[in-house]
Amino acid sequence: MLKLHYNLEKISMGLVGAIIAVASVGGIVEIAPLFTIQSTVEIPDDMRPNTPLELAGREIYIREGCYACHSQMVRHLADEIDRYGPYSLASESAYDHPMLWGSKRTGPDLARVGGKYSDDWHVAHLTNPRDFVPVSIMPAYPWLMRPLDTHLIEANLATLARLGVPYDAQMVSNALGDARAQARPDGDGADGLRDRYGEGIALRAFDGDPARLTEMDALVAYLQSLGKLTNAAAALLKEDAQ
Amino acid sequence: MAITATLTLSERRIGIGLSISLALLGLVMAAAARQGPMAVHGAIALALGLGLVFVLGGALYDHPEPGPGRLGRYYDAPTRFGIVMTLIWAVIGMSVGVWVAALMYWPEATPLWPATSFGRLRPVHTTGVIFGFGGNALIATSFWVLQRTARARLADAVSPWGVLIGFNLFVVWAVTGYLMGSTQSKEYAEPEWYADLWLVVVWGAYFVLYIRTLARRAEPHIYVANWYYLSFILVVAMLHIVNNLALPVSWTGAESFPIWSGVQDAMVQWWYGHNAVAFFLTTGFLGMLYYFLPVRAQRPIWSYRLSILSFWGIVFFYMWVGSHHLHYTALPYWVQTLGMTFSVMLLVPSWASAGNAIATLNGAWHRVRDDATLRFMFVAAVFYGLSTFEGSFLAIRPVNSLSHYTDWTVGHVHSGTLGWVAMIIFGAIYSIVPRLSGRADMAWPKAVEWHFWLAVAGTLIYVVSLWNAGITQGLMWRAYDQNGALSYSFIQSVEAMLPYYAARTLGGALFLSGAILCALNCRATMRRAGSISDAADRPLVAQPAE
Amino acid sequence: MTTDPRALPGADPHTGNREVDPVTGYDTTGHDWNGIKELNTPFPRIALVALVLSFLIALTGWILLPAWPYGRDYTRGLLGLDQGEMAQEGARAMAGIRQDWLGRFADPDFAALAADTALMGLSMPAAGRLFGDNCAVCHGRAGGGVPGFPVLNDGYWLWGGDPETIAETLHYGINSGHPDARFAQMPAFDWMDRADRAALAGYVAALPSGRADPASAAATLFQDNCAACHGEGGTGGLLNGAPALTDDAVIYGQDVGTVMKTLRGGRQGVMPFWSDRLSAAEINLLALYVSRLSVETGRRTE
Ligand code: HEC
Ligand code: HEC
Ligand code: HEC
Ligand code: HEM
Ligand code: HEM
Ligand SMILES: [Ca+2]
Ligand SMILES: [Ca+2]
Ligand SMILES: [Cu+2]
Repeated sequence: MLKLHYNLEKISMGLVGAIIAVASVGGIVEIAPLFTIQSTVEIPDDMRPNTPLELAGREIYIREGCYACHSQMVRHLADEIDRYGPYSLASESAYDHPMLWGSKRTGPDLARVGGKYSDDWHVAHLTNPRDFVPVSIMPAYPWLMRPLDTHLIEANLATLARLGVPYDAQMVSNALGDARAQARPDGDGADGLRDRYGEGIALRAFDGDPARLTEMDALVAYLQSLGKLTNAAAALLKEDAQ
Repeated sequence: MAITATLTLSERRIGIGLSISLALLGLVMAAAARQGPMAVHGAIALALGLGLVFVLGGALYDHPEPGPGRLGRYYDAPTRFGIVMTLIWAVIGMSVGVWVAALMYWPEATPLWPATSFGRLRPVHTTGVIFGFGGNALIATSFWVLQRTARARLADAVSPWGVLIGFNLFVVWAVTGYLMGSTQSKEYAEPEWYADLWLVVVWGAYFVLYIRTLARRAEPHIYVANWYYLSFILVVAMLHIVNNLALPVSWTGAESFPIWSGVQDAMVQWWYGHNAVAFFLTTGFLGMLYYFLPVRAQRPIWSYRLSILSFWGIVFFYMWVGSHHLHYTALPYWVQTLGMTFSVMLLVPSWASAGNAIATLNGAWHRVRDDATLRFMFVAAVFYGLSTFEGSFLAIRPVNSLSHYTDWTVGHVHSGTLGWVAMIIFGAIYSIVPRLSGRADMAWPKAVEWHFWLAVAGTLIYVVSLWNAGITQGLMWRAYDQNGALSYSFIQSVEAMLPYYAARTLGGALFLSGAILCALNCRATMRRAGSISDAADRPLVAQPAE
Repeated sequence: MTTDPRALPGADPHTGNREVDPVTGYDTTGHDWNGIKELNTPFPRIALVALVLSFLIALTGWILLPAWPYGRDYTRGLLGLDQGEMAQEGARAMAGIRQDWLGRFADPDFAALAADTALMGLSMPAAGRLFGDNCAVCHGRAGGGVPGFPVLNDGYWLWGGDPETIAETLHYGINSGHPDARFAQMPAFDWMDRADRAALAGYVAALPSGRADPASAAATLFQDNCAACHGEGGTGGLLNGAPALTDDAVIYGQDVGTVMKTLRGGRQGVMPFWSDRLSAAEINLLALYVSRLSVETGRRTE
């Protein structure tokens, strides 16, 4: 063995090849089966992808770096179930490119925050968290009341569709209209939006003003969708309790 | 000293050609994107390219060509530039670190301007220190170490500049991108697709330069330090490419979607993320340790055979452990088990290299006592041992149930990065800079001593306060009273962190002041050196081995 | 170059050893990289032992736990563990401990529960934690309210302060989108003359201090438009979600400016529903907790 190595040390390309070979094993063994083993991700029937407005909100969540402080992953632990709700399933982030499970909880987990608070509260909290939680160390985001930049909304859906997220042609071509409709409950687009994404989606003037489509609308719509794309996790836990 | 004077006329012309290409690339990017981060980045590349054209063009006939004697010397001007960049990024990255640390108990201080909010500045800190500070130090020292242990001059004079300048352009694109809100959110791989592609090009050039120089070596055997540097270059390339595979939303904008999603993305991300730690923050720096520690201690490496065990152990085991970042998550249990068990086995080669370094100091303890530079390296080896032990411990599933998502992780991170990475960098810098300047010692030797104690105190305060913070936080989250009810609400745990966050800021400020002192000291030393650019420490024997 | 250490220059032709390090007594490998040498120290025993030991630990893990993938499946391990089941077992175990006392809240006689001081002693901290994680961001940590969200510790109620009523509010929420939600709306009076609105605002702002003039035109406007919900003279008490305007409890604010805003835009505060997040017992526990907040502050008016 030692002799072998003694010789290897003299051949630079040999060393290169050996390093690549030795370093490849772990990743291949751990990553490839995640695509072949069926039980890794089981998409429930009621699972829906994010609406265009929620997707735009997700981009803002990423842009502002919320993931630096908030996880979106309720772990398989009793205390997390008690505090946050049913543990997260692999399917719940199956359409997330990239996933936002996070690595630090400076603030609470957000995987199940959808529906927990009102839109007004989110708007006011994001505008200045310390108005509501005096000891909060979350930054204020007052600039989110500016208009939402929508020029990529359709392209975003189209790109994700190419990566396998189930957006059909209808959804892609109506993306902009759907984004506007979701924040304007009395507008004409509402029915089409519900047809495409289901009755369960939140369709409200999230920032309180149906006339303007703001970044706040998008971000709050996204937050209200967290944990709401499928009911599978709650159903699993309930089933188990019986 | 004019760097351009170290280049021959034809090398200057090649340089001008490359600079024009860079300027054109920038122009195309700016014109295609028209607005947003990609346009700004195009403009930065354009300005840099034009700037380089002017510098090189102006020098074309100003400076005489270097004599043929240069081929008998090492080419150290790139190392010197790399060290200057290391120090600049150290000050930027750590200042932002101290600032975001302060924001964590003083959030009102955030100016109401998007670019300055915590979520955007945090990756500026991590990228600034890991890639700016760590990356420049790795590239700069790898040139130095490679030439000396191969007894060969760098294979050519233009590509070292291409690598260093290209790499720094990548880091500048990255951090300015975050400020503008452009990020893929993948930790330590946040830059957008075109920056990712650019890094592939730069890294390719780095590898070619490295391997060409290695092939010219006059020493039949490749020294351990080079095994480590080589693994750093190769594996970082593998990781970077796989983790950053993404589909741009359009070719003229800075938005893209990673091709991976959900669990698979999580696994790929932490396969990358952990091994960014392993092959960026560990193996490259072990290369550094393996060169500068024995040189400074004037002792032989304690055991060649142990070096072999630890090297291959590290290369093999490390690649399996990324899943320890995903314990108890929706990632299947089996991958978590593999991550945990390989992390435990990983401790052995890790400690083998730390032990090898410390045993090398046998017979040189008096030097450790008297020489602050060597003491930096000794402390680095100790913290390397400590943080790998801690890492393997944290990777045990039940332990991780307590530590994950808490400040304990951040404490672990900084015991590794401050105690190990930064200390070994400072040790290497204090070894190289006087040599580069043709001196026996730094301009202000006392300041090195001061820096050492500031760094040690800063690290200890930082790490100890965050251990306390993290364990408190983890315990508060999971505490049930005897009646089976959770004891604390989340916000109580936030409140409990504030004193620790304040202490951490103090520790960070001490560490930063040491780094600033180091930068000033290096500046003074280099200034006094006048026009020396290469340390002619040993004559070259020009005869290839392969 | 030869690989045989014995053939190397300066080597002992029998052992292959060369230069011996005076400190450790070990020989070197014979290389010299810019002054760096290496000792040929054998593998320390302890490193090999540690390697074997750590491998045995890993092996134990692989045998007992889910570990190795193959094709479309993976090894389950002898213990047959499943992290989902384990998590739920853990959660059930804690719920089992809570059941002893929390079970009594499932179908409660609030008066009896409140009289049981031992029960109160152990359940109220738990309720405090639930309140802290779910309610405090809107109603303040001690129930002191924040602008736009009502105070819960002052004894003035929109819907009623007895635990039964509160529990119903918690179950279904107010304007929450739940089919059984309580509905409360302060209509917008944007159709009204601005001057009238201003007069009304002045009148309403003066109500708590008792200085509002009951003979003014504004008072008439109030009787015509507002009394149906807010009561004669704004004294409230109808428990229809419309607050009394004569007391010092405010949600949005009762200064002229804020009242003008309220009149122009209307208000429809949303209190989320909790029935799919908290169990019935937890909701009742919280209801009792909330009903007692004002007792603790001594601000219950009754
Ligand atoms: C510096 C860290 C930090 C950043 C960055 C941050 N938050 Fe927070 N967040 C907190 C803390 C701490 C809390 C708990 C205190 C509070 O409610 O304000 C919190 C609470 C929240 C809550 C309430 C969660 C609950 O269940 O009570 C939401 C929703 C939220 N944040 C969303 C966001 C969004 C969206 C962003 C980005 C635009 C963001 N946060 C950025 C630290 C942060
Ligand atoms: C998103 C913010 C929000 C959260 C979270 C919230 N509430 Fe409320 N709550 C409100 C608002 C707004 C109202 C008043 C609704 C209105 O204006 O008609 C209200 C009303 C109430 C009332 C009725 C008060 C009365 O005078 O009749 C009670 C009781 C109450 N909340 C208790 C709770 C409890 C207990 C929780 C936690 C489980 C909670 N709330 C969580 C916003 C919230
Ligand atoms: C249909 C019933 C209804 C009518 C009519 C009505 N209100 Fe209200 N009012 C409410 C309700 C319900 C609320 C509480 C809204 C909330 O909490 O979101 C409220 C709230 C208010 C508030 C805010 C109180 C605070 O604490 O901040 C003011 C002021 C007010 N009303 C004044 C008036 C005046 C003046 C009129 C007549 C012009 C009027 N209301 C007519 C139902 C009514
Ligand atoms: C002046 C000294 C430093 C200070 C004050 C500092 C401060 C911080 C702060 C406040 C965070 C964010 C933690 C959180 O979100 O909870 C952080 C994260 C981080 N820092 Fe530093 N830092 C310093 C030096 C360094 C150095 C020198 C390195 C690397 C070489 C480094 C690498 C990192 C990394 C990798 C993270 C991310 C940790 C994680 O995600 O878990 N830091 N630092
Ligand atoms: C044997 C060696 C090591 C092992 C097994 C190890 C293991 C771990 C574990 C278990 C975590 C926590 C994951 C989580 O709960 O989220 C972690 C985080 C981290 N470690 Fe280590 N560690 C080792 C060495 C090091 C060293 C030497 C450094 C730095 C130079 C380092 C830097 C980091 C960083 C930056 C993170 C944070 C990643 C993130 O969440 O962003 N580690 N490590
Ligand atoms: Ca992290
Ligand atoms: Ca990237
Ligand atoms: Cu790791």
